[in-house]
Amino acid sequence: MRYFLRRLGHAFLMLIGVSLLSFFFTTLAPGNYLDEMRLDPQIAPETLAALRAQYQLDQPLPVRYVSWLNSLIHGKMGFSFAYNSPVAPLLMVRARNTLLLTIIATLFAWGLALPLGVWSAEHLGRLPDRLLSWGTAVGLVLPDLALALGLLLLAVKTGWLPPGGMVSVDFESFSLLHKLGDLLQHMILPVAALVLSSLPLLVRHVRAAVADVLGAPFLVAAKGHGIPKRRLLYHYALRAAANPLISLFGFSVGTLLSGSLLVEVVMSWPGLGPFLLEAILARDLYVVIGGVLLSTLFLLGGNFLADVFLYWADPRIRKENGAG
Amino acid sequence: MRTARAKVHPRRNLPSLLMVLGVVSAPLFAGHPQPKNPKEEFLVMPGEIGHSGGRLVVSLRGEPKTLNPLIAADSRSREVIGVMQADLVHINRATQLTEPALAKSWRISANGLTYTLTLRQGLKFSDGQPLDADDVLFTFRVYLDENVHAPQRDLLIVGGKPISVRKADAQTIVFQLSKPYGVGERLFDGLAILPRHLLEKPYQEGKLGQIGAAPNQWAGLGPFRLKEYVAGQRLVLERNPYYWKADTKGNRLPYLDELIFVFVPNADAQVLKFQSGETDLISQVGAENFSVLSRQPRGYTMVDAGPGLEYNFLFFNLNDAGEKSSPEVLRKRKWFREVKFRQAVSAAADREAIVRLVYQGRGTPLWGLVTPGNKRWGNAVMPHPARSLDRARALLREAGFSWRDEPGGETALFDSDGKPVEFSILTSSSNADRSKMAALIQDDLKQLGMRVQVVPLEFRSLLDRVTQTKDYDACVMGIVSFDADPNSDINVWLSSGGTHLWNPSQTHPATAWEAEMDRLIEEQMSARTFTERKKLYDRAQEILAENQPLIFLASPDILVGAKNTVGNFHPAVLEPYVLWNAEQLYLKNVPESASR
Repeated sequence: MRYFLRRLGHAFLMLIGVSLLSFFFTTLAPGNYLDEMRLDPQIAPETLAALRAQYQLDQPLPVRYVSWLNSLIHGKMGFSFAYNSPVAPLLMVRARNTLLLTIIATLFAWGLALPLGVWSAEHLGRLPDRLLSWGTAVGLVLPDLALALGLLLLAVKTGWLPPGGMVSVDFESFSLLHKLGDLLQHMILPVAALVLSSLPLLVRHVRAAVADVLGAPFLVAAKGHGIPKRRLLYHYALRAAANPLISLFGFSVGTLLSGSLLVEVVMSWPGLGPFLLEAILARDLYVVIGGVLLSTLFLLGGNFLADVFLYWADPRIRKENGAG
Repeated sequence: MRTARAKVHPRRNLPSLLMVLGVVSAPLFAGHPQPKNPKEEFLVMPGEIGHSGGRLVVSLRGEPKTLNPLIAADSRSREVIGVMQADLVHINRATQLTEPALAKSWRISANGLTYTLTLRQGLKFSDGQPLDADDVLFTFRVYLDENVHAPQRDLLIVGGKPISVRKADAQTIVFQLSKPYGVGERLFDGLAILPRHLLEKPYQEGKLGQIGAAPNQWAGLGPFRLKEYVAGQRLVLERNPYYWKADTKGNRLPYLDELIFVFVPNADAQVLKFQSGETDLISQVGAENFSVLSRQPRGYTMVDAGPGLEYNFLFFNLNDAGEKSSPEVLRKRKWFREVKFRQAVSAAADREAIVRLVYQGRGTPLWGLVTPGNKRWGNAVMPHPARSLDRARALLREAGFSWRDEPGGETALFDSDGKPVEFSILTSSSNADRSKMAALIQDDLKQLGMRVQVVPLEFRSLLDRVTQTKDYDACVMGIVSFDADPNSDINVWLSSGGTHLWNPSQTHPATAWEAEMDRLIEEQMSARTFTERKKLYDRAQEILAENQPLIFLASPDILVGAKNTVGNFHPAVLEPYVLWNAEQLYLKNVPESASR
């Protein structure tokens, strides 16, 4: 229990730190939200000054931070200048879409990486392993952006899949089953882009971790006892190799999330990606800070989940904490 | 009293002109089961008769930030609001002239200070509630309220005083200006008339800014009204059954049942959606995408609507450097303030090459601020000198510059103090066209021996440098005018203007020619006739061409496209390019039986 509490404490401190830093960095960026309005010949300087005061852009940083914290406590996370509305509800709708994409991509990526990695480790140094190694090397080299664009191009050229977006225009008129099908159809491309971009790294790690333990004496012994190969690999070898992989899991949530922001922009997925990009360019700073905070939260969530797995998989951690 | 009846110049023929001016009293059709209102005065629109029904899908580059016209400041919001709201007097995007809208006619007093507008009979908001003069009074009270921060407020301050509004009777409103204004009726364009019955209470409570446009929160007078809004994804508008325009057969407009905006994050996604047939219309296409889309059109047609109202230009930093500046900055400002230096740069700029290479030929070289897309305000006698390096060299020589051979075999330009001429040009990194322009100019100026660096900056950072810190040498930028009338860009030309880019917000005009510009612009604002105004404005254009504070480069064409099934598609060169006649757009492939 203390183990988890300590982890939560770390997470909390991390969030405070991230919010302070993102506050600081967004103010360092030159220009502010009103600059583009300033360029509009029809808007008078007096109106801009009034807006500046209304948005508290004329206040010192600590004052703004405190009033932002206050609005965070009230569940608003500050105020979006562009949307003229509290940030939290704006972010939540988009965060839901991003989470949907990231969770499914995470499941697929690991669901594929584990068997592929184990298979590759089993045939270490032989042809299947070599082919897979080449394949993953190509995947690693390919930039995410090129991958996403390539997939999109394929979809448009063939007309098999919709060119981006999350649902069809007629979505509301569909039956429940049809809605689900429509959503899945739209998800194929972005999920494929995410999975393909993270898979190679995961496969390589699984392969290395499993290969490491395959030669261990306890496995040779187990083999001698006539335990079937499949059980040997997945029950004994993978379990022994789990520790570094679980840590990698927490990390992979982070990479998938950041990859997702990019893929979303390319594939018009209505998640945090396009939303944050626009907010950054427009200097809608509370939206940017809110987005950064939310991403940090997801990342911490992934890591926390990894900790839980680790606790469950590795008796040593349980022992250590139970004793201390 | 002089009567200024609606001036309408339809592009077709005389009968349609009569139709526009004529008031038809609601001949209602079998297909339109609406309560008969004998007093309803339709505005009759000339054009092809379409059929009802169907929906049109359009993509928007990014999400509209709000549907509330009082706070909308971004172009996407304005585009959507444009089809949901209506104004008293409207600028026809095709003819660029004003025409009656909610006001069926207006009178201007002999001294030009009083505007009397008469509302159409039987007008209703999209929720079915009637509109009268009180709604108009309320609307102007709200726009003029300082606490509302409506961006349009400043347009309603004429001669330093807000225009005053009073009601003569239920259908007649009188506007009083403190100073004559050249085109008073143009002020009304784009000012959405607000529903008092819904907004009075939030206004009293000071919550007007938080109102979105949910069906129960807002009602408009435009052809479409809100049906559904899915954050981050799409906006579904439906036909406003109370709309006040009809076609020449008396069918109530709009034809379409639904107009759907889908939000995409960038221009390329817009192109993909259009190419795959998911959207029906596309506008603001870049030249490269335009040629890709034109290569193999699948059931759609791409249209080059001709030059628009965007002018791109290079300008030098003419701000007072201040005494504490470094000698290097002072030296540069001295060059930039030398009019012959600016004229030389202008002479060396290869505008034809910009049009050819940046816009793939789909643009026009520019020598003045009035683009060829503007039908009435260009100065016809202004010279369009061809590129001439010889003339540029002669001008530089006269200004005391000289050339010396560098060790590398290149010839470099030096000023009268023997310092090499080197400076940088800022451009927005997100605008590929302007970055290319800057690169071409860099090359042109190299031929004069100037060493120029192009510095792409993220747009807000660039604005910060130009308008706030004033720490830059030169910059390539562009402005898109909202209106063909020069009054929309006044703050660019007045020396006191905040967008007088090269030296903004001056307390006193820094130069004699800027003082002269101020005088001309102020005078044309209050001049009463077009000829008078045009004369003053022509002179202003000449002064700009002489002094080159902005070195005009080129204007891109408005490139759009539509599926072949879209009827009444007549793109304009003013925003909104393809949706300005949204109420008349229809689908040719909707079977008659399927219509309402």
